[in-house]
Amino acid sequence: MNTHRPVRALSRALSRALSQSTSSSSFPLKNVTKSNFEPVLAELRRHVAAADFVAVDLEMSGVTSAPWRDSLEFDRSDVSYLKVKDSAEKFAVLQFGVCPFRWDSSKKSFIAHPHNFYVFPRQELPVESPTYEFLCQTTSIDFLAKYQFDFNMGIHEGISYLSRGQENEALRCFHLAYEDGSKLKEVRDAPLVKMADTLFTERMKNTFTEWRDGLLRNKNGGFQFQGISNDRQQHLETIFFKMRPALSLNGFTSHQLKLIQLVIRRHFQDLSYVQVNGENSCQQRLVVHTDSKDDRESLMKDVKDEHLRQAETKVQAAVGFRHVIDLLSSEKKLIVGHNCFLDIAHIYSKFVGPLPSTAEEFVSSVNKCFPHILDTKVLLNANIGLQQRMKKSQTSLSSAFASLCPQISLGAKSTDLAFQLCVKVEVQVDDLRSSNWNSGAKHEAGYDAFMTGCVFAQACSHLGIDFEACLPSEKLAHNEKLQKHINLLFLSWSKGDVIDLTTGNKNVMSVGSKNNKKRYLQISYEKIALIWGFSTKLKAREIRECISKVFGLTSVVSIYHLDETAVFVQFNKEKLVSEFLSLKDTLERKDGPVSVLHPLAGLLEGGNTRAADYETYKEICSSPNAKVLFADQAEAFGIQWKTKLVEAKALCLECESSGEKKALNPASKSNEKSERKNMENVQSDSSTACVSNYKIIDSLIASRGDKVRTNL
Amino acid sequence: MATLIRRRLLCTSAKAGKKWAVKEVTKANFSEAVEEFKDDLARSDFVAVSLQKTGSFSAGWHRALPFDTNDTAYLKAKYAAERFQVLQFAACPFSLRATKLTAHPYNFILFPRDELKVGMPSYSFSVQTSHLTYMAQEGFDFNACIYDGISYLSKAQESAAKVRIGNPTPGNYVVDSSLTHTVADTIFIERIKSRVKHWKNACKKSGSRTDDALLSSLRKLVMGTEIYGSRPCMNIDVCSERQVQLALEMLKEFSDELVPLIIPANGGGTQSVRVVLTSSKEDKDLFERELQNVVEEQNKRVRGFREVIDLISASQKPVVSHNSLNDFTFIHSKFLSPLPANVDEFTGSLSLVFPHILDINHLMKNIGPLRKVTNIPAAISYLNNHYFAPIDLETLPQENEGKIHRHNVVKMCYLFAKLCTILKIPENAKLSNNHLLAPALDEYTNISNPFSDIPQESINEDIRIWRNNMRKISCDNLVFLWGFRSGLTAGMLKSMLHKSHDVFSEDFDVRFVDKSCAIAVFWQPGLSGTFLDVVSNEAIIGGSLREMVSEGLRATSYRTYKRVCKLGLWEADLAESLDKALEDPDYSMDADSTTNGREILWSTDSMINFDDL
Repeated sequence: MNTHRPVRALSRALSRALSQSTSSSSFPLKNVTKSNFEPVLAELRRHVAAADFVAVDLEMSGVTSAPWRDSLEFDRSDVSYLKVKDSAEKFAVLQFGVCPFRWDSSKKSFIAHPHNFYVFPRQELPVESPTYEFLCQTTSIDFLAKYQFDFNMGIHEGISYLSRGQENEALRCFHLAYEDGSKLKEVRDAPLVKMADTLFTERMKNTFTEWRDGLLRNKNGGFQFQGISNDRQQHLETIFFKMRPALSLNGFTSHQLKLIQLVIRRHFQDLSYVQVNGENSCQQRLVVHTDSKDDRESLMKDVKDEHLRQAETKVQAAVGFRHVIDLLSSEKKLIVGHNCFLDIAHIYSKFVGPLPSTAEEFVSSVNKCFPHILDTKVLLNANIGLQQRMKKSQTSLSSAFASLCPQISLGAKSTDLAFQLCVKVEVQVDDLRSSNWNSGAKHEAGYDAFMTGCVFAQACSHLGIDFEACLPSEKLAHNEKLQKHINLLFLSWSKGDVIDLTTGNKNVMSVGSKNNKKRYLQISYEKIALIWGFSTKLKAREIRECISKVFGLTSVVSIYHLDETAVFVQFNKEKLVSEFLSLKDTLERKDGPVSVLHPLAGLLEGGNTRAADYETYKEICSSPNAKVLFADQAEAFGIQWKTKLVEAKALCLECESSGEKKALNPASKSNEKSERKNMENVQSDSSTACVSNYKIIDSLIASRGDKVRTNL
Repeated sequence: MATLIRRRLLCTSAKAGKKWAVKEVTKANFSEAVEEFKDDLARSDFVAVSLQKTGSFSAGWHRALPFDTNDTAYLKAKYAAERFQVLQFAACPFSLRATKLTAHPYNFILFPRDELKVGMPSYSFSVQTSHLTYMAQEGFDFNACIYDGISYLSKAQESAAKVRIGNPTPGNYVVDSSLTHTVADTIFIERIKSRVKHWKNACKKSGSRTDDALLSSLRKLVMGTEIYGSRPCMNIDVCSERQVQLALEMLKEFSDELVPLIIPANGGGTQSVRVVLTSSKEDKDLFERELQNVVEEQNKRVRGFREVIDLISASQKPVVSHNSLNDFTFIHSKFLSPLPANVDEFTGSLSLVFPHILDINHLMKNIGPLRKVTNIPAAISYLNNHYFAPIDLETLPQENEGKIHRHNVVKMCYLFAKLCTILKIPENAKLSNNHLLAPALDEYTNISNPFSDIPQESINEDIRIWRNNMRKISCDNLVFLWGFRSGLTAGMLKSMLHKSHDVFSEDFDVRFVDKSCAIAVFWQPGLSGTFLDVVSNEAIIGGSLREMVSEGLRATSYRTYKRVCKLGLWEADLAESLDKALEDPDYSMDADSTTNGREILWSTDSMINFDDL
């Protein structure tokens, strides 16, 4: 951006005036796009190297690809990870905030350098790869728009990147291309068919002969070679290429160049055709004279090496924003984020490699790249002292910032005693400095990273960490007061699941004050059945009624809607899940008046009701499709069966007589493969299985009849 | 020579004036623009539409290919329409009188904002960075689009939204003779009747004298009286739709003063019936008109941009499109209802809304050399150079104006006009004042034309000349091959196959679909079956074919490909998708009788050559 330069000059002049009087100011933070990326990166290297910790924050194009992918109360920790994985894989990072913080002991204050990188996954290299594509969540994009996110800037000027995997692939492709020599495409020998081609070839042959003979004759003399003079567009010029005489070919068509290559190969042992990239990336074609075969080989090798070097430079440039990630990783600095598990997953999937399939594998790989990560949300929730200081306010970033760092968030300089305890943070952007800076641009990644860093610095001070005592050699990451908080991230904030990045251990942390009651209610996932595809008119209450009519009033502990098409039914006993599934299966195989009058008929109405256990939910969560409704997702996942029967650990009540056992067993024993078959088509002899149900049903119908009447 | 001079003259005169410009429409000026558009549409004979989307296809084989049947091409278009988003809808009502083209272009900027907070129109959408980059280069303003784009709801979403928004609707009592009152019903009616009477009298009494605030609020508590607008009202709680009907029936008795409103419950059903008391007959009419206006205003807000679609549909004017299959799958899924499962249902459903769709690509098929031209400027320049068909258009936007995408729709009109002139589509055909399309154009009305369906990326492709050697072949003669080593060219693979088995001694062709998968055509019927039998039978397979199979070569019929599309196995590599389709246990059961005999056109230069990719 050309306009930057005069602005920068002006700002420099202004800053000189400002730096003397560090009054309250609100200059913008450092916005980084592809036009100023290189110089900023060089500067950032210095800042990060000197930093005590680096705060990061990301703005994404979305969070959940479907409502049911949102973090739910009934998420087991492995399911939580799958949801985060899905989010990181589908959405793009649009803005990346990096803010290095350095303690300046002379000023007794932190120096922060907030950077706001615009990132856009543009394809820069012509290397074959799956199309660059990402998902946008409409509400997230709208949310960003509310905070004046500059989408034009992002799309026009955003910095692109290659992950480590993509970089290796690109390099491999380039190497392969040059190994094969296909970059210097060997022209196939083809008979010259056209008259014009023959004439052209003949003329070029004569020209090259003349040139070469001239060179040989006048090794020391000043040989003057006349290019093809009859055409002003085409001309040959004698130059030196790598200490060898060469002819540069200009103004030829690609077909003519092919013919020239043929001529050279056929008729001249001591001439070689090479193609090099000139200074301003225009391609230059040369015919180079070599003294011997060895000389020729060394020339070709030189040319090839140069091509490779150029390709590598190109790949290095395409690595783009990942240089920042590599920098953070190689400096092994303490990374500070706020509720940053998803952020870390994004960083991993975009810049390191594909996300592993389990949380344990993921955290161990993350730990290798970033050995020290601290989540301020974990820190704030873990320490009671901090919670008291925050006067029980929310632990969202902006409210934590407001309650812990009032001196910065209010932007006012006060001599208030309370403010004296606050950690001072001085912001530096280029030459602009301010000790109470406030750009006010919330939900801008750079500013959010700055807030996170301030919250962390303040929290450290409350924990009694003396920044002065922390010598540069003794890193903050190894401070014993932080040890029990470091490398802990919320796998799921709503459930308080915390994962330890160093060990992969998962714990439940009691967070907040509101949901404490629920915390201790352990969910047993074996007692959960998943039902979807039922009539959208059905509400949780009606589903509960349906089921408790069959299995007893206390059988259903709770009904939880994933979305309007699916529910979790939590039973009070594990075996009820398998009983429910087999009853549903049995009913659906038999059409008849009984199944219509059965209490479950309401649930099965429409014939599309599917049911399965919790494991199926996990499987569906791991599928990459992005359907908005759960029922559609299950269908896209390829589920064609209606009921997934699970092996009951205890014997079903219905299976008491041996005859019925026979009928039921083939179904309940069915393994994965046969389950996928359409159950409707399998008309097994299930009529006997229904018999035992009749008695129950009869009594239920009677009681239902009473109920209907009392309803009036 | 004379024509050349005349053309020059025409060109210069065309460049001279710039009477109109493309009207950019966002949220801010939408309502005025719609009124103008309505008038322009009424005065025009045709309307051209063109969509700017966030993506087209994720992998090479996901686009419509020459060997696609109508159904597979539709399924591919459906896959794209369901994932990507329309950010700009260009609509241009135009008329062609003699050689004079009058066009009124509008660019509606769209963004699927959830204006009503009901999770619609679109929870999320995919974007392709290449498309966004291209749009950015063309000068598309994404900030304007996201901040101020017009939202919309499809017809299907509209009915769902009405339930969720839960605005009161006037209660209309439907006389149902079968409704016989039970004892409970009578009790219910009597109870609410006395309540309503009591309340009405109280309201009237209090209307005559002025109460102090305390008293009136007490009265409000006791009687359940509330104020609706400026009029008093009360709510009657109901437990079922039957009770709603009973309440409405009872209220008929008071119909000269009371207006019933139905208050919907969250998530469908009725929560209560609200009774509004009006002071006189005039006041009642006034109130009903007010209600009507509120409902209309509401509907407008809910529909948003879809109003334009509704206008076009209601006008019954022929719609001119350039990528009809792609554009209309988008239009159907975003503005009408979710896309049906197959192409026949789709065309059926679409023709109810848009009875006449003219595809420019289809028209161009009638001019031999234009068969493969997919980009509008190239086609225009070809026609300019080869035909004399002056079209008088005030401004044909120039290439160097930067924002080409804005003018695309005008160029479409221009090209259409030229084609009509060249193809001598008679004058009377174009004047479709009677809302009927003359038969002359009818033969070009065809949506199911996958060949025209070339994605946007190819906009800058050069003209390629069609060699006119299309041959009709049945899908049965096609075999998909994959699992061979990478780096092969089609020629190499062909010669390997040629040596491998007797089946290949007859005439056959091999082309790459993508880097993972090739397609072989047996020109002699029946040989494909023989080949598939050989490959799948260990006993009879031999020679180098056996070796190739042992190295991983797999082969399958066209049926598997159709299955891939039907199941939506859109992997990046076709080979992967074919493998998945074969793994599917239902595969063998799937009797596939409907499309077996379908023929497709095979042209030797229409395949995507791997070397070109």
